Order: sequence, then C-alpha cells, then structure tokens
Amino acid sequence: MSAILFDRIDEPGLADISVYEKRGGYEALRNALKQPREGLVEELKSSGLRGRGGAGFPLGMKASFIPGGDMDKYLVCNADESEPGTFKDRELMQKNPHQLIEGMIIAAYIVGANRSFIYIRGEYELPADVLDEAIAQAKAAGFLGENILGSDFSIDLVLHRGAGAYICGEETGLLDSLEGKRGNPRLKPPFPANQGLFQGPTLINNVETLSTIPAIIKMGGAEYAKLGVENSAGTKLVSVSGNVQRPGNYEIELGMKSRDIIYGLAGGPEPGREVKFWFPGGSSSPVLTAADLDLPYDFDSLAKAQSMLGSGAIIVVDDSNSVVDVAVKLASFYKHESCGKCTPCREGTSWTVKMLQRIQAGEATPMDLDIIASVQEQIIGNCLCVLGDAMAMPVSSMVNKFRGEFEEHIEKAREAAGLGLTPPVTPDEPVLTLN
Amino acid sequence: MPRPEENIITLTVDGRDIQAVDGAMLVDAAAGGDIEIPVFCYEPKLGGPVGACRMCLVEIEGIPKLQTACSTPVKDGMVVHTQTDRVKEAQNSVVEFILLNHPLDCPVCDKGGECPLQDVSFGYGRGVSRFTEPKRHFVKPLALSPLIAIDRERCILCYRCVRFSQEISEDHQLVLLERGAATFVSTFDGHPYVAPFSGNIIELCPVGALTSRAYRFRARPWDIEGSGTVCNLCPAQCNVTLTVRDDRVLRVLARDNEGVDDGWLCDKGRFAYQATHSDERITQPLVRDGDRLRPATWERAIQVASGVARHDGAVGAIVGGETTNEEALLLGNYLRNTLGSNDIDSRDGGALSAGLLRALADPKIQATVPDLEYAHTVLLLDVDPVDDAPVLDLRIRKGARRNDMQVLVASSRPTALDPRAAQAVRHAPGSAASMVLALDAALNGDGAAGTHAANAGADGAEVRALVEALEQSGEDIVIVVGERVTDGPAGEAAGQALLRIAAKLGLGERDGAGILEIPRGTNGRGLREVGAVPTAGPGLADLATAGRSSTEIATAAAAGDITALWLVHTDPVRDSQNKDLWIKAIAKAGLVIAHASTLSPELAEHANVVFPAESGAEREGTITHPDGRVQRLRKAIGAPEQVKPAGAVIARIAEIGSSVDLGASVGPAATEAVARAVPFYEHLTAEEIGGRGIRWQEREAAANLQPGSSTGETVAPQPAASPNGALRLGTFRSIWASPEVEISPALKFLSRTPSAELSPEDAQRLGVTNGNSVEVAGVSATARIRSDVPTGNVFIESGVAGGASLPADGELVEVKPR
Repeated sequence: MSAILFDRIDEPGLADISVYEKRGGYEALRNALKQPREGLVEELKSSGLRGRGGAGFPLGMKASFIPGGDMDKYLVCNADESEPGTFKDRELMQKNPHQLIEGMIIAAYIVGANRSFIYIRGEYELPADVLDEAIAQAKAAGFLGENILGSDFSIDLVLHRGAGAYICGEETGLLDSLEGKRGNPRLKPPFPANQGLFQGPTLINNVETLSTIPAIIKMGGAEYAKLGVENSAGTKLVSVSGNVQRPGNYEIELGMKSRDIIYGLAGGPEPGREVKFWFPGGSSSPVLTAADLDLPYDFDSLAKAQSMLGSGAIIVVDDSNSVVDVAVKLASFYKHESCGKCTPCREGTSWTVKMLQRIQAGEATPMDLDIIASVQEQIIGNCLCVLGDAMAMPVSSMVNKFRGEFEEHIEKAREAAGLGLTPPVTPDEPVLTLN
Repeated sequence: MPRPEENIITLTVDGRDIQAVDGAMLVDAAAGGDIEIPVFCYEPKLGGPVGACRMCLVEIEGIPKLQTACSTPVKDGMVVHTQTDRVKEAQNSVVEFILLNHPLDCPVCDKGGECPLQDVSFGYGRGVSRFTEPKRHFVKPLALSPLIAIDRERCILCYRCVRFSQEISEDHQLVLLERGAATFVSTFDGHPYVAPFSGNIIELCPVGALTSRAYRFRARPWDIEGSGTVCNLCPAQCNVTLTVRDDRVLRVLARDNEGVDDGWLCDKGRFAYQATHSDERITQPLVRDGDRLRPATWERAIQVASGVARHDGAVGAIVGGETTNEEALLLGNYLRNTLGSNDIDSRDGGALSAGLLRALADPKIQATVPDLEYAHTVLLLDVDPVDDAPVLDLRIRKGARRNDMQVLVASSRPTALDPRAAQAVRHAPGSAASMVLALDAALNGDGAAGTHAANAGADGAEVRALVEALEQSGEDIVIVVGERVTDGPAGEAAGQALLRIAAKLGLGERDGAGILEIPRGTNGRGLREVGAVPTAGPGLADLATAGRSSTEIATAAAAGDITALWLVHTDPVRDSQNKDLWIKAIAKAGLVIAHASTLSPELAEHANVVFPAESGAEREGTITHPDGRVQRLRKAIGAPEQVKPAGAVIARIAEIGSSVDLGASVGPAATEAVARAVPFYEHLTAEEIGGRGIRWQEREAAANLQPGSSTGETVAPQPAASPNGALRLGTFRSIWASPEVEISPALKFLSRTPSAELSPEDAQRLGVTNGNSVEVAGVSATARIRSDVPTGNVFIESGVAGGASLPADGELVEVKPR
C-alpha cells in the first residue's frame, strides 16, 4: 500500500505552499472547481470514506444532507483532537496543513458553504501557528477569498483556538463554543446539517476526513474504495501509544490485523511483557484483551467484538499495570471533562470515580463492583451526548473482563488498610433489591 | 406572523390512542391523554426543550435508544411505551442520580410539600439509594439578591433559572459556573441578581434551591390556601394567586393566563403584597383636627365627607388607576346626577373628545396581548413596556425571539426593547404628537412629514425609514401607544393621526393587527369606559356639557372656583406632574376627601378626611385591561376592621349628604350596575368574567358601542425646543415608582431618589459621573449615564416619594452637579 495521507509526510518544507504545490498540491481543487457539485458528492459517496473523528458516519451521505438553496452555510473542521491517546490530527496539521486546507475548500465548494472554520484545541499551539501561516499563504495565492481561481465560488477560512475542554470536541458542543457560548452539547435533532453553526446548515468533519478529500478527488471515489475492506474503505491513521516500543502514528489500510499494528508496526511491549488489554479506538472504546489481537482492524470487526474503531487510537496496556489504576485514571478524566448538562453523565461519572477511588484505597467491598457495573448500565444510552458513554463503556468492560483482578485488589488493599477480609458475595445475586 | 395551523394526529401511548397536535412534544401530547411522563428541565414557557435532566426517557417503537419525551415531536402513528421495565429502570436511575448530591433536607425546606422533586422521587424512584460517598457541599444559603436565596446543594441543575435569565427576560445575568458535578448557578460577576422579573425563577425552580426571602420559613404548604385574583398595580393586570395564611397574604404566584401575562410576573407584582400588611399603611379613617389628621370614628368621617353635598356644582373628582369600574361608576353617578358636576377625570394629560375615545375603542382596530407575540411588526409609540406595563416587555421579546417579529420604536426616552428593535427613532420629550403626525404624513405621502419630524425634534430620514419598514413589514402590525402620546392640547390631533395611520395600514381589516393603548393607571381603560372622564359618560356617551379635565380641576380649585376635591385612590401631589399646582389646589379647597393607603406630606397637611383604602387583596370588583379584557378582583383576605370598600363609602356619603340611594355599591350587584350603564358591557356578570376575564370586544354586546369620530378642537403641537446648551426635560415613571414598593419591606431596597438619565456627552460636558447627585430644575436626583439617551435631553423619574414639581415634558431645564 502506498501512503495517502502520510505520503512523503516528512518532506522538508512541506508546510510551505510552494513545496506543496510542487508535488501537485491544489490540483484537486482546480479540477473540482471545474466540475458540478452533484458529481463531486457522488465521488465522496462512492469513496466509502467514513468519518475519522470517532463516529464513523459516511462522509458522502453527510455532505448530501446539506440542503441546497441560497443561505449562509458553514463548513467546520473539528481539530479539537482531545480523545486521550489520539494525536494523528496534530501531525497532519503540523506537517501538511495545505492538504487540510485544500480538502476544506473542496468540501466547502461541494456543499456550497460560504464560511469555514477550523476549531483547534488551545493546547495545539504549534499546529495552530503552522495553520495560520498556511492559511495566509493560501489566501495570498488566491485559493481562499473571493472568486477562487476565477470561479464564482468564494470561501473564507478562520482558525479558532479552543480554550481546553474535551466536550468541545463533541460536534454540537464545538458549535456552541464557536458561537461564543459555554461549550455544551445540544439536543439532536436538529442535526448540524440542518441547524448547525448560527442555526445555519453546517458540515462538520474531522481533520483526517477533510484531509483525505484531495486524494479522493485525484484518484476518484471508486478507486479509493478499493482500498481497505467492505464497509471500511480506505486508509486510516492509527496513533499507537502505551506499552509499545515504537509509539507513533501509522497509516494503515483498514482491515489490517491488529496484532500486525501493535507488534509489527509499533513493536509490541518491552521484551518479557505481555499485552494485558488494549483500547482499540481511543480511551472511550471498551477494552479488548490479548485474545482479540487477531481481529482485523476495521469498523465492523471491532464493533462485532463489542468495541469500536473510534478515532483510531490504540492504547496498549501490558501486564505490569493494574487494571484498577487504569480505571481510576480513565474515569477521573471523564469526570473532570463532563460538562454537567445532563444528569446521568454529571452524577454518574462523579459517583463512579468516588467508588473506584475507594476500591483503590482499600475501602471497598466486591459489592461495590456490582454497583459500579450497574451505574455504568444506567449511564449508557441515557445521556444527552456520548461523553457519559465514553466513560461508562470502557469502565464497564474493565470491570466485566477483569473482575477477578478487581476483587483480588479489593482484598489485598483492604488488608493493607487494616479493614480485614470481606464476606463472600455471590456475583449472580443482585446486591440490593426491593421486596 | 399568523398563528401556526394545528393539525390533529393520533398516536398510541401505552396502548391507548391519543389525539394531539402534530409536532407537539410527546410529554404534552401524553399529558393530554392523561398519561404523565415525569420532567424536571422541560418548561415550554422557556422556549425549546434542552433534554438535560433525562427524566422523561420513554421507549418509542422503531428507535433503539430511549428517547426524551420532552424533545420528541409527535407524529401520526407513533407508538410509545412509558411503563416498560426498561423505561422504569431509566427513571429509577435518573432519580437516583439526581438525589446523589441533593441534601434531602425536606423537613426544613420551604419547597417541602409542594416540590416536584419530592413528587417525582416518590412516583418514579427506587426509594433507596446505593450512594455511600460524601455529598457535594456548598456554602448555603446565599443571597442571590435581596429577594432570592440560593441553596446550591439542593440545585439539580435543570437550567430553568438560567434559561429564564438568558432567553425570557434577556437580562443575561444568571450563568452556570464550573462544570460537571461542580457546576453551580451564579451571576456573571457575583453581583446580586436584580432585574425587573427576577422573582419568576423562584416559581420556575423545581426544587428548593431558589426561595423567596420574603416567604422563607413563613408557612408550610399545608398551612396555606391559594386565592386567585388580578394584580392591580399596573395596567398589565397580571393574573395572580395569592398565598394566604391566617388572613394574611404571604406570597404572590403567577396564575398563567395566555391572554394576559403568559405566566410571568414582575417583581413589583410578586413582592408588593407586603404593602397590605405594612405598618405604614393607613387602616382607619382620619379627620382633620386643627393642623393634623386624627383617627376618627366612621360616623364622624362620613359626616365630614358628606359636607360635599354643600359644595353643589363646585366639586371636582380625580379617580386613580387602581379604582374599580364599580367605584368609578358610583362616584360619577353621584357627581353628575346629584352634585351637578362633570368635573371628574382619571387622566393626567388633558381631555379627549368622546367621539375620539369611541373611535379609538372600535373593536376592529383593537389589538390583543397575544397579538404582540404573533404580529409581523410591533411599533412602540413613546412607551417603554418594562416601565409602563412590565409583563408586556417579555411578550414582545418572545415574539421577536421565537417568531422573528420585527420591533420598531419611536420614543423620546430609549426603551428596554431598543436592542431588539430593527429601528429606534428618537424624538424630543413631549413631542410624541408631532411624531405621530410625521408618521401619518409620511405614510400618506403628505409633504408635511418633514416639517412634523422637525417639530418633533426627530431626524426626517429616520422617520421615513421607519415608515418604509412599517409598509414592508407584513399585514399584522400592532401599534403600542403610550398614554403620553395623547397628552396635552395636541392630544386630539395625535389621536386623529393615530386613527389615520390605522386606516392606512389596514389594521381594522385583520384580526392580528391593531392598536394597544397603555394607560398610565391600572384600570385606565375601564375608568374611561364607565365615564370617569370629563368629556364622556358611561359607555363613552356624549355629554351635553363637558366637565373639566384634571389639570383644569386643579387650576379651578387653586382659583377658588372648585371648593371640594374628591381624590379616589390617587394622590395627585405624587401622581401628577403638576405637583405645585396640586399643592395649591388642595391647600385652597374647602373640603378635600381622599381614599388612600398612604399620603404624601402635602396631602396629609391639607386633606380634611381620609378613608383607608382596601388593598388589592381585599378589594372586590372589575377592572378592564388595556386590550378590553374585563377582569375580576376577588377578595382574598378580610380587610382590617376599620377599612371599608370605597364603593360603600361613596354610597354612604351620598345617602347622608344628599339623601340619595346610589344603588348597589359592592359585590355582583354593583357589577351588574356597570353592565347596565355601559352598553357594550351589557349583561356582563361576574360568572361570565370568571377566572380568566373576557374581552368585551368578543361579546355580542360589543355592537352596542356607537361609532364615533373626533369632535374636539384640533390644536397643532408646539415645535420641540432646541436645547441650545440647556437640556430638554423628559419624565418617566419607573416600574419601581409606587408607594407599594416604598412600604413593602422586601422592595425597600429599590426605592430611591429620582434618577436623572443623561447622555455620556452631556454628562461629560457638565462634569457629572454615574451616581453623582445632580439638580434638575430644582429637583435633586441621582445621575444615571445611559449611552442611548440622545444628547440634549435629560429624563427624570417621576412618581417617587419626595419628588418635586417638574416643568412639562419638552421644556428646557438646567442640570447642575451638586
């Protein structure tokens, strides 16, 4: 497979427009502007590209939801990359900003947007500086602004730096934040395609998704769809981190065996260590174990294994770590980032952390594990947005898959805390019932 | 915008077929079929649903996840389950989550017993909690404002209060700080939440987090009864429920009436009930004894007052806005039929001809309150709803926010709705008549538009742009007119111009269009219709000879031509702009009778007999809303022993003084007398008025209103003075300028010296900064610098205790720093 997004990514000076143009940059845009919009939507559809931000919604379909007609329409690039373990967009923006800009201009042309924004997380200072420079270059070169390349299409691009909240990576929370409000998720429907930024139709997509568009236009949707496997077309950037010897971003063809990514590309854990469990799609995906390493890395296979591909961030945890510590760390992150708008997430994340901390400190009983598991069930599917699920799903999977280790920890930690052994509990019987 | 059409569909909830309006939210549709779905954050009055509390999760066939019923519009054929194990499990979970950090201090909480959180926990919760961790703690309670206490531990973060502040009153003061489980409600910068409508958040709060400081720990729900009546403190006439314990009013709650108040109250209406039980209220008859008023027996007081009969032909009466239709009719009858005087008035700005009054009352051009929400355009003519009829401010904001209604303003003083207005045109204070003439001329293509605009001190181009906006704004136009538009000698001309504008815009041809005149007094419209004006008898009938208007009465009294003054529920020394003239009048008159709860020092010095007035909670009778809705004041509590209904007092004076029987003075019989006297109120009974009132225009008897046209003398308005270094004076009566505010302990923090609003440029020129003491035409005031005030003008608050006499609006005054 030849790289698409990471094609000669380390070429010196690639962030400069002259280097980017020399390798054929902005040609896709020139081509696209000569074609009718309807045809281009079809290209996106036939490419089979699914959104790379986490939800995996087909890009072509999303673009086709944007209504026609003369009104203010918006294109927003979600560059708030805040899912723990995910760092692919940073590299894309920092090393090849024009690829993203070109993708955005084409996307804006396709859906008829007249204003576009990149919402970048505040911590990404270097990528933001690089983008600022690149946007200025694109403007000077006439790729942004009025009547682009002599066509009747005009588009402006504004880079907006976020102030540091995970919830602003949720698309509607991002839109509220971009409007200058407190970044809280909105009710859906209405979806952004109908009522998004400033109530106007809005196409909102991830950096990686938009960066892929020039390649799709160049090679044609059908050709792009030949990459990957059924329902998971194309290549994907995976950010591998945790207990591996070569952490980093890798571009893979979807459907590659997970073991080949973790061991082949990233080198696997240090010698003498085994993979204990791994997050296949960022910290919010339910964990998989060593037994799942032969799964093909694509949307459907991971979903079948009760997890998800998410943002494509693989976090590997080896047997030197305690699952309890990982659970506490992870739940604390989501508790800290919960916006507080809806009840199950606000209260559930905070309660879960309190219980896990008690387990860690040796003040819990195995009964608390049942309550933790039940609380996660009460959160999943009942929240306004997916932040609550993002904690509940991995915590639930850890408690279920490593219950023995949790119980062992509880016993040992209780002894260490001088609280003695706990009475036996039958796991099949619910701990508290009425009647 | 025309009201949306309603399409009825059928859906199935828990196996039962339910009819509902297409697109209604599932919660409401289910409620219509007697199926309760629990909610906390959902409150349709606050706008669209937010889906935050997750209490209303239900199962909808065809959708895998549970859905929030508050945010799901119903569709034909939808099948919903609210009783399945899955739904119950979700409800149990949400209740458990909500109670995690709630202190459960119900036994000491004011909300206990009338608390939605208690009800929902009982109905939909598990009954036990598995939570053993420490709860979240806050310092509590804190004063969110002098009126409201906040207990953040009890808060369940439903956002209702914040949404009210952001999207209903649009004062943008309340916000959420921090996030996640640490989120709390606060003001942006920690300032007290002081705003005209702040008290509504107490009623919106579904838990005991926001409580009224005036009501805190005064009663439990099982100690109290609710009594429905109408607030009589301003022309908005909001419907209220008074909370009564042991014959004392302890609280005022909104009694949602879509046709009047949309379920909101202003803080004056909510807290000024305290005036009823204030020590400063007059609660016994007072009779002059040498240089002071002394408590007297009723017999003695009636005897003194009945001396009015000896002033035959020289009696003048001023009827205040709080007077009921029944009281005003009795007094008018006695004056006209027995005492030989037509000198009765309820307006401060001069008389309009009976024909003009009838033409303006034409049901065809009458706008209603809901029209303010659905019109294409609302034009405000020299009126600021937030001060003149507060709750209408919220209604206009609602229309602008939800229905994209266009708001246009033509006023002298900047209004609170200016930020919402597509255009706001300023004219000189006191020049509203010229402004109306300019609008009329511009609409009708008359070349005089420019001259009139110049006379009004307005920019001609701005006036033309306003008229253009009016012409292009769609058919449903509502013109809200302040009473000051028809003030003064040019009032008749302004009224005629108003009618021409209505005709040109076709307001009479459309249901959703029309004129809504906001009188100064609560019952201004009713008083006019029962004949408490010098030019018209009951039913706006022509009189053989017109009487004197209020200013003419004062002038005549000061000159000795009128020797007896009868002041019903008004203290002209306070309420009239002509304070000095009125002081002379009451000093000169041989007999001054007052019905009052409080007295200005001057009236206390000169009144001969003072009858204690019933408070709103004690009074019975009817009042008429500015849009023609006749409403009932109902007695919620007994009056203090020595307080009697003003109607009974008037009837007794007539009986003792003139041996005349005026007929029924109180109760349903008195209302029937009003219905007999006013042809277009024919057969109106207390039963028909009921709890929600009825607009007389919507009854058959409305046809009994005789057509009319202006017969008064048309006087051209004076051109506005050019400031030329001095400042033009404008007056306004703020929502807080009333004796009830001053004597209610909870509201005392709002009473103050009059404020003088200046433009930043003038303030700088005069060396005045915000909050400085200034002297305006000899009156001391506190300078308020307001950027929207046009240079060359100063606006001073009237109706404040201790205020001094002011020149007429539009006159030039000097402002001096003190």
